[in-house]
Amino acid sequence: MSTLNKEITGLIYDIQGFSVHDGPGIRTTVFLKGCPLRCPWCHSPESQSFKPQICWMDIRCVGVDKCGLCLNVCPQQAISLGDIRESLLDNTKIQLIKVSRELCNDCGKCAEVCSAQALFISGTEYTVEQVMQRLRKDIPFFETSGGGVTISGGEPLSQPAFTLELLKQCKKEGLHTAVDTTGFSDFKLLQAILAYTDLFLYDIKNMDSSLHNNVIGVPNEKILGNALRLAEAGAKIQVRIPLIPLFNDSDQALDAVAKFCLKLGDAVTQVQVLPYHAYGVTKYQRILYQAPVFEAQVHSEEKINHCLDRLKSYGLPVVLH
Amino acid sequence: MFEFQPLTPRVSRMRERYRTTFPTLSTERARIVTEYYKEHVAEPSILKRANLLYKLCQEMTVLVEEEELIVGNIAPTYRGSSLWPEYGINWLFDELKDGTFENRARDEESHEISQEDKEYILSIEDFWRKNGISPRMTAIMPDGLPKTFGSGVISFQGENMCSNPTGHFNANYDKVLTKGFGAIKKEAQEHLDAMEGRVFGDKAKKYTFYKAITIVCDAAILLSKRYAQLCREKAQTASEVRKAELLKMAESLDHIMENPCRTFHEAVQAVFLYQLVMAIDGNMHGLTIGRLDQYLWKFLDKDLKENRTTMEQAQEVLDCFFLKIADCCKVWSVASARNSGGYTSGQHMTLGGQTKDGKDATNPVSYMMLQSAARLVIHDPPLSLRVHKGTPDELFEAAIECAKRVGGIPTMQNDEIIIPALLKKGFSLEDARNYCIIGCVEPAGTGCEWSACGGSGKESYWNMANALMLAINNGINPLTGVQAGLPTGYLYEMKSFEEVKEAFVKQTNYFVDWHITMTNFYELVAAENMPIPIASATMDGCMESGLDVTWGGAKYNSTGVSAIGCGNVADSLSAIKYLIFDKKECTARELYDAMMANWEGYEPLRQKILNEVPRYGNADSYVDELARWATSVFIDRVNAATGFRGSYRPGLYPVSAHIAFGKATAATPDGRLAHTPLADGISPVQSMDKNGPTAVLRSVSVLDTLNCGNGTLLNMKFHPKSVEGVEGNNKIKDLVKTFFSMDGMHIQFNVVSSDTLRAAQKNPEEYRDLVIRIAGFSAYFIELYKELQDDLIRRTDQVF
Repeated sequence: MSTLNKEITGLIYDIQGFSVHDGPGIRTTVFLKGCPLRCPWCHSPESQSFKPQICWMDIRCVGVDKCGLCLNVCPQQAISLGDIRESLLDNTKIQLIKVSRELCNDCGKCAEVCSAQALFISGTEYTVEQVMQRLRKDIPFFETSGGGVTISGGEPLSQPAFTLELLKQCKKEGLHTAVDTTGFSDFKLLQAILAYTDLFLYDIKNMDSSLHNNVIGVPNEKILGNALRLAEAGAKIQVRIPLIPLFNDSDQALDAVAKFCLKLGDAVTQVQVLPYHAYGVTKYQRILYQAPVFEAQVHSEEKINHCLDRLKSYGLPVVLH
Repeated sequence: MFEFQPLTPRVSRMRERYRTTFPTLSTERARIVTEYYKEHVAEPSILKRANLLYKLCQEMTVLVEEEELIVGNIAPTYRGSSLWPEYGINWLFDELKDGTFENRARDEESHEISQEDKEYILSIEDFWRKNGISPRMTAIMPDGLPKTFGSGVISFQGENMCSNPTGHFNANYDKVLTKGFGAIKKEAQEHLDAMEGRVFGDKAKKYTFYKAITIVCDAAILLSKRYAQLCREKAQTASEVRKAELLKMAESLDHIMENPCRTFHEAVQAVFLYQLVMAIDGNMHGLTIGRLDQYLWKFLDKDLKENRTTMEQAQEVLDCFFLKIADCCKVWSVASARNSGGYTSGQHMTLGGQTKDGKDATNPVSYMMLQSAARLVIHDPPLSLRVHKGTPDELFEAAIECAKRVGGIPTMQNDEIIIPALLKKGFSLEDARNYCIIGCVEPAGTGCEWSACGGSGKESYWNMANALMLAINNGINPLTGVQAGLPTGYLYEMKSFEEVKEAFVKQTNYFVDWHITMTNFYELVAAENMPIPIASATMDGCMESGLDVTWGGAKYNSTGVSAIGCGNVADSLSAIKYLIFDKKECTARELYDAMMANWEGYEPLRQKILNEVPRYGNADSYVDELARWATSVFIDRVNAATGFRGSYRPGLYPVSAHIAFGKATAATPDGRLAHTPLADGISPVQSMDKNGPTAVLRSVSVLDTLNCGNGTLLNMKFHPKSVEGVEGNNKIKDLVKTFFSMDGMHIQFNVVSSDTLRAAQKNPEEYRDLVIRIAGFSAYFIELYKELQDDLIRRTDQVF
């Protein structure tokens, strides 16, 4: 068993300490790469692909004049001269590069020579033990605050074996565990991790399946069904509702979601509302993709409060993210 | 959530006046001092200082401003500054002559000054250049010191050494409130009477001491009575309501200082007057108010029980007191103003913590102090919350809520490490439990210790980054080219990392020893020329020993020295070890050449150092152990040093010397460019903490704080989004509690985004009240010198 564990690896794009919105207390969140859904408002587009990807952060680049090593190493000739920007520090001009998404095959040679880490690979293989070494450093903070580990993504259940082993190890070491999931997986995978998961952070995005399918790319029956079965099986669920303009912010949509939450009964520990924001756009640029056309006005405070009140009127434990 | 009450209309108006009045520089004090020094050449120093103080209390202008409930002023105009030429104002002579003073920008703490005053100051230049404290220091300069000039590690130079008093202490306010100067004078007089006609042995010196005490007691009482008189005069033309107020204040002012205080209002007024008398005497150098909640509560408790006042009235009095502290201005040299900035006077107060018998010390005044700071949104006085295992959650939350509103006020200090640290330095358990925070972050005894936390005036800081530079450059600071240190060889000649470490130990020991040597000379100059009987009058031990605080008369004695650049040294050692010896990614020669070229032409190597080399602040033991090792070399050497009063205490805090010291430091192996700021306190190098606050705290907690008795400083910046609301408060509380459980000593934080700071830089008018914690103090952001503003912006926003 233990030798097998060592061989299992997970593709991870970030491990974040002091994650304060992903469950109770001070938490460390492990972000797994790869997701079956394509939410157009996704604020972590680097989490979608199941493969390591080249990322490009222009503010880190020191400029071709001082470095320029990447220009010579790309086997695909995907890197060329790009914009000129002004240095934030001393107003000098910095000649940036640009990367062609069409030509780039994510081989990572440029990232190897980029000591500024303006070009870097998003997605690194970790063994369970490697992740645990990082998590153990935060144990004193978990203990004081009643926090723990959250496995997020992407979709953790898209890397089921790794997620399961990581959860098992966390529980073996006495850590509180949470899994942040879309719920879009076979129930048997959820069932497998249930015994090792103290809390599910579970997205309910829209109760209308065809709208769900049209916008996100998958219908919602499986998601809703899994939620009910989890509740029945005794799971604790923190429902998360990304509040998206013109998608799920009508009274009717909110009523439907609220009624569903009531059906989940005592399983629901909290209903967390996450208002839409546009931070994801720059992250698309970072992974060299065009952000999907998704133009939404950020909600006003009044509108957000209205939505919160609407949900609260069902007696649900609603909180704003 | 903890609720803050609204300000009263009176307090709001007073605050507005404070925020909109421009400071003026006055020569009134300078005139009295100059005349006195010229006429009284023959007087022994301690009597000269005492009689001068009496004359100042007799002649300096007293003011009672409209609506004031607490009175006292340090200059003849509201929010004015005075001058202390006897401590050295050569910088002012220079600035007036070359026009710098008049052309100072607001962020350089500009002051208005009249033509007449300007001419007067220049007329006393010759006298004070010869008779100030600095020339006295120059006169006893040890023979070997000039060899260290240009090292950049210590900053004792031939001229303008030590322009501040040895300060940074907490006098015994409680004695003033509960005994009064009448009783203190009586005690001193009894010593004199017992000695009269039989001054044998070493008692002649003690006789002058007790004599001086009787004089300064009279000075303090006189000043109070002059304010009483002025209140009565003002009452004659005042409205009925104000008239009653003024007459009541007059009655109090006639009584307090001489006699024990009877009410909370009287006690608060007496604290401020004692503060003022000490400021008039000695240059406001780290005059610490200390555990205000502990010595005020008994008065308020009695008032409330006897229905003499309400909590609202008491709060208004305390608010007025806070505003009085804030309006005490002190003019610094333009160089110092750039480094500190924001017209700060550092009159620190401590709240919470434990009582002498180890119980939780929180009382209603603790909360009132937070109310004053949070609602007035003022950067001065700085506050510290003492945290221990029994600190009530409610106090913790109120403090966090306050710190969110007013950048970094209060800072948080850990009883569970500071009390043991003081015990190690010879404190009794009771006195250790009764410690307070001095100046910025320095723990010291309450009313019982001449702590000189700030060391000797402005030369208290020690540049650790340059010690490393000299270690790898044969004792030569690349910026000066002078061989000021020991010839320990060049980096490219060193065959192993052990050799690098050995060289660092040699330079550190050499320059710590020189620093202590010079501080000891300065203490001698201070003891001979600048005794402080007004502090000695209350300080535990002085009356018993018959010795002034500067002579070693206090119950406890210590002197602080603080090293700057811990993060840079850790990261530099890490870069050398990682790149040259462990991974062999470059040769020592390459790294050396790159550094000497200020990284010009070596950007990829520099980026590797910034991004690949293990950096302090990320919970990586590879480099954290180096941080521990390097700071311990300094800590152990300082702890072993002695002066004539007692031992030394090492600290790791910068006030804002990390900026000035950075200017005097060439490019360092951690990828830092020449002349840019060093890391502040024990914080990681700016923007190099990439794994969030928990990782920073893990790294920082490896340091040997238990032996770092003069304090440490960790500055963190949180993005408002990540610590919103009650939940956010809880997260900060848990973070601090965990850090303290891992032996962290001190933490302070700002809750503000870099975007907000950039916006404030662009549109200062819209951010007039944005208070931010810098290093050892807080200030209005827009009143800070631009380089300090930039340094704050560069720090990592902890946002998740």
